[in-house]
Amino acid sequence: MKLKRTGLILKSAALSVGILTASSGVAGQFDGVTLRVATWGGSWKENMVQAIVPKFEALGGKIEFVTGSPQANLAKLIAARGKAPFDVMETLDAQEKEFFGTNELIQKIDLSQLTNKEYLDDWQYNDWRVASWSTQEVICYNREKFAELGLPAPTTYKDLANEKLAGRVVIPDITSGGGFANFGAIAYAAGGNEQNVGPGLEVIKNLNSLKFWSRGGEVVTQFESGDVYAAVVHAGWCLRARKAGSPVDTVQPVITGTSHVGVGKYGWLVIPKHSKVPEAASWFINEYQEPEFQMLYAVKSGVVPTNRKSISQLASDPIFAEMLELDPAKIGNQLKIDYQKADTSDWIDQWNRSVSQ
Amino acid sequence: MKTRWEYVLLPSFLIVGLLIVASQYVFLKGSFFKDLGLGRISDTASMVNYLRFFTDSFYLHTLWVTVKTSGLAALFTLTLGFPVAYLIARMQSKWSMILLAGIVVATFVTIVIKVFGLIIIFSADGLVNQALMGLGIVDTPYTIIGNQTGVVVGLMHFTLGFGVLLLYSVIQTIPRSLEDAAQIHGASRWRMHLRVLFPLSLPGVTVGVLMIFNMCMGAFTSAALLGGGRVFTLPVLIQRTVMMEIKYSMAGTLAAVLLVTVLLINLLSIYLIRRLRSARLVIA
Repeated sequence: MKLKRTGLILKSAALSVGILTASSGVAGQFDGVTLRVATWGGSWKENMVQAIVPKFEALGGKIEFVTGSPQANLAKLIAARGKAPFDVMETLDAQEKEFFGTNELIQKIDLSQLTNKEYLDDWQYNDWRVASWSTQEVICYNREKFAELGLPAPTTYKDLANEKLAGRVVIPDITSGGGFANFGAIAYAAGGNEQNVGPGLEVIKNLNSLKFWSRGGEVVTQFESGDVYAAVVHAGWCLRARKAGSPVDTVQPVITGTSHVGVGKYGWLVIPKHSKVPEAASWFINEYQEPEFQMLYAVKSGVVPTNRKSISQLASDPIFAEMLELDPAKIGNQLKIDYQKADTSDWIDQWNRSVSQ
Repeated sequence: MKTRWEYVLLPSFLIVGLLIVASQYVFLKGSFFKDLGLGRISDTASMVNYLRFFTDSFYLHTLWVTVKTSGLAALFTLTLGFPVAYLIARMQSKWSMILLAGIVVATFVTIVIKVFGLIIIFSADGLVNQALMGLGIVDTPYTIIGNQTGVVVGLMHFTLGFGVLLLYSVIQTIPRSLEDAAQIHGASRWRMHLRVLFPLSLPGVTVGVLMIFNMCMGAFTSAALLGGGRVFTLPVLIQRTVMMEIKYSMAGTLAAVLLVTVLLINLLSIYLIRRLRSARLVIA
């Protein structure tokens, strides 16, 4: 089934209009305030430029972006030593230890400004962080190629080790955005856990994968070129591959030996410790939770909203309903890696030694 | 009054000093301190990172892969580039300038585009694999992604144009009349190349190959894109250590080892070539 792009564009445009008309705050509230936001580039930044920047400017302020991966931005934050190179930052759950172990790097969020918390579950916010989105780490596969090879749709990571798929599978490099979540999930499915990732490395060795991807866009290109028949990737990239014309479907992987089906990776918003504009930063975080903005993000970037209202809206779209898990109960049952238990530095070390040629 | 032309060197010297020496100093200094996590480093100097590097087979293997892939790429670039450079240098038609201009333009193309071109050509349904499978040479598509062969090919693609230009300028300095003289006195073409062209071009070729080798040792893009996350050269490992592990001291150590290795290989090569030349002079 092809995506109806026109419908999506119209939907995005309508959302933008809705977003721009629903503004919170008082005119002049942020006169002369410059808010620096650390986020990814590409569609992530564009969504904010489209939807949040005009509202902040209407309140008298200005938003600047510091683009880069959360790892790169974390390095900038640490290197700044006592200064805040930005005022709001997008982080990943994999950075939980760095940010939330001691809270040395961040300051409290003014939750009284978080009026959109009514759409969030309790675990999605506290004084230090607010969930921004989630991705569903899936197996994305080319149904036509699988049919040609006489293979059923995969259900587990081990299904990708079939010799007919040798050199036709890609999985994320541990340094990529979904690297930790997927590596942790593969370890779990192989009988390991956060403290024992060895079984996962054995599975990865047996996969005979073409490469370890570092940017999701590579996966879309490789589905298009016919090099790849299956990929471990977040559902948003699979959706983009479908949009680009590849006959791909998603499968929420069964995490063997556990009751989990599917893998969730979460993004969080935090305010760096030395930010001098925490009020504006808290305002920004609240705007991020606006149902319309969350919906825009989902439509354009293929992430799953944290906001309950947006999730139910997204479920009414047949393509999203088909390619993403949008049942709250099932989302709740997805595997979430506990990074407090994980030594990710050791994971990287073990990974490097295992995959290096 | 005598003009002090050496002062012209001062601006360049200052810029190089500031940009290269100062940045290297920061890294070198950092390499002698232990990483404490989150980008913080210990206050006490120690050799712990160097000890780890030279006692850990993973790091030693990475160094070996870096030297091996760079060495092979430099040698293959010489092998492919020398005949091309020779032909262009000795060509007397307008084609020499056209070909030379083509090579110069090719070197302007960014390496990312070049590497993606390679990936497309070598893709499963790409030109090379279709030809190989059509001719019955291979049963399954051959890939250059995720293996050392691919990295060597990528490095060659990166340096070949540059190498041809370097070798062209070396060959241009050798008078054609020497080749003619050797052949008039009965030397075969092969012997002329071996006894006249090779010895005369050796110093220039050595410098050229070393420059290509040095470029390969520091090359990141080809190794990162074609290595597919499996081939770790030192530049790739440095990027991962800085960006992902945020271990600045260990990254500094890797950078220092890379720098010293390149310097040592260069010095050793020059020493050996000098020995070789002086030995040849004695024999002659």
